[in-house]
Amino acid sequence: MSNVFPTRTGTETDVRLPFSFITFAVLSFVASQVLLLTVIPSLASGAFRLPLVWAAAHLGLLGFALMTAMGAMYQLVPVAFLTPIWSVRLGFWQFAVTAIGIVAFAISLAAAPTRAFLPGLLLLLGIVLFVWQMAMTLRKQETKNVMTLFVATSLLFLLLTAAAGGLLAFHFFAATGADSHETAFVLHVLFGLCGWFTLLIIGFSYKMAPMFSLAHGFSLRPARCVYALYTSGIAVSLLHLFLPGQVWLMVGTALLTSGFTVFAWHIRTILQKRMKKALDRPFQFSVTAVAIGLALHAAALAAIMIGSGRWIGIIIYLSAVGWIGFSIIGYLFKIVPFLWWTHRYSEKVGQQHVPTLKQMMNERAVAVQCRLWLAALALAAVALATASVPLLAVAQVLLAGLSVAFAGTMLAVFRK
Amino acid sequence: MDVRELAMQQLKTVIDPELGINVVDLGLIYDLKIENGHIDVLMTLTTPGCPLHDSIAGGVKRALEQIAGIRDVRVQVTWNPPWTPERMSEEALRQLGYFA
Repeated sequence: MSNVFPTRTGTETDVRLPFSFITFAVLSFVASQVLLLTVIPSLASGAFRLPLVWAAAHLGLLGFALMTAMGAMYQLVPVAFLTPIWSVRLGFWQFAVTAIGIVAFAISLAAAPTRAFLPGLLLLLGIVLFVWQMAMTLRKQETKNVMTLFVATSLLFLLLTAAAGGLLAFHFFAATGADSHETAFVLHVLFGLCGWFTLLIIGFSYKMAPMFSLAHGFSLRPARCVYALYTSGIAVSLLHLFLPGQVWLMVGTALLTSGFTVFAWHIRTILQKRMKKALDRPFQFSVTAVAIGLALHAAALAAIMIGSGRWIGIIIYLSAVGWIGFSIIGYLFKIVPFLWWTHRYSEKVGQQHVPTLKQMMNERAVAVQCRLWLAALALAAVALATASVPLLAVAQVLLAGLSVAFAGTMLAVFRK
Repeated sequence: MDVRELAMQQLKTVIDPELGINVVDLGLIYDLKIENGHIDVLMTLTTPGCPLHDSIAGGVKRALEQIAGIRDVRVQVTWNPPWTPERMSEEALRQLGYFA
C-alpha cells in the first residue's frame, strides 16, 4: 500500500481503507453497466436468468453496492457508533480477499457458471471476515441504540444472503439440488435486497438524514416500529416458501410495505425539523431514492395481489437500481468529498482557509447527473413494462454513460 | 484588543465544512478560560458522532495556538448540555436559509 494517505488517529479512520473499497466499487459499477449493454434484448423480454446478467448483477450488487457499503461502514461505524474499528489491518486483508473474490466470481458467472462455486468460497471468506470485523467492533460499543439494531441485523442477513448464494452456486457446481433451487434463489434475493441492503440503508439514514439536514428535536421512537414491521415482513415472507398458498407472501409483503411506509414518513418528519433549509443535491437524491423505494414496495404488493410473476422481476431490478443504487450514489456524492477533504484539509483547519465540502465537487454537474439518473430509471421502467428493446437500449446506454460520468465526478474530487 | 476578543476572532476562522459556518456563530463554544498563556476551551458539536469531530476540535486548538503569547491550548468536547439550534447566531440562521 502506498503512503499517499497518512495514517490518522482518534475517531478518524485511516482513509486508505474506505478509499480502497470505494475506488474498486466505482470501477465495478462502470463494468456492470457496460456489461448490461450486451444483454438488452434478453432483459427486455424479462429473461433475467442468464450468465451475463448474473455477472453484471453481481458486479453491480457485490462490486459496487456491497463494496461501497463495506467501505462506508469502515468510515461511518467509528464515528456514528463512537467505537474504533476492531482491526484496521484485518480491514485491508478483508478488502483484498473480497475484491479478488468478486472479480473471480463475476468472471466465472459469465464464462462458466458451473464453476462459480470455488471463487464464491473466496468471496464468502471476504464477507465472513467483514461480518466478524463489524461484530467485534459493535461489541465494543458502550451504549447500543436503534441504529446498532438495524446494522447488526443487516450484517446477519449479509451472512444469510451469502449462504443462500453459496448454496445456489453449489447446485450448479455439483449438478444437484434442482428441487430446492427456487427456494434458495428466493432466499438469496429476499435476504440480500430486504435484509442486508434495505435494513443497512435505513439504519444509517437515521444518522445521515439529521446530520446532512441539521435536524433537531425529533423522536427516534418510530424507528423501532419500522424495525419490527420490516423484520416481521421478511420472516412472514419466508413462511411462504414452506407453507402452501400465496397468503403468507401477501401478508409478508404488506408488512414490508408498512415498515417502509413508516420509515419514509419518519424521514419526512425528521426533515421537517431541519435547520438547513436548502438541502444539498446529493442528499436530495438519496431522499428521492426513499420515495422510489416506497413506490416499489407498494408496486410489489400490488403485483403479488394480482399474481404477476413478470412484474416481480422488473420490480427487483428497479429496486436494485432506484432504491439501493440511488441511495448509495447519493451518499457517495457526500462521502467521497468528505474523505478527500479529511485527508487534504483536516490538519489545516484553524491555520488557513479551507474549502467547504460543497466546494469539493461541481454541484451543477451533480445536479444534472441526478436528474439524468431519474430519467434513465423512468425510461428503464417503461421499457421493461412494455418489453421494448429499443427503449431499454436507450435507458441502458444512458445508465452506462452516467456510470462513467459518476466515476469521472468521483475522480475529479481528488484534484481539489 | 484583549486576548479574549482575539481568541473569538480566531475561532471565527474555524468552520464546520459541511455547513460552511464558523464554530462561534454555530454556538459550539460553551466556555473559554484564558489564564497565564493557557486557554481551556469547552465546546460541543452539532451531533455526537459527528465525522468532523477531530477536524473541528483540532482546528479550534490550532487557531488559538496562533495567538501571540499563548503557550498551551486544551480543547474539551462535551455532549452535556447537548447543542441546540437556539445557540446559533442570526448570521448562522441566515446562512442556513432560515429567513428566506
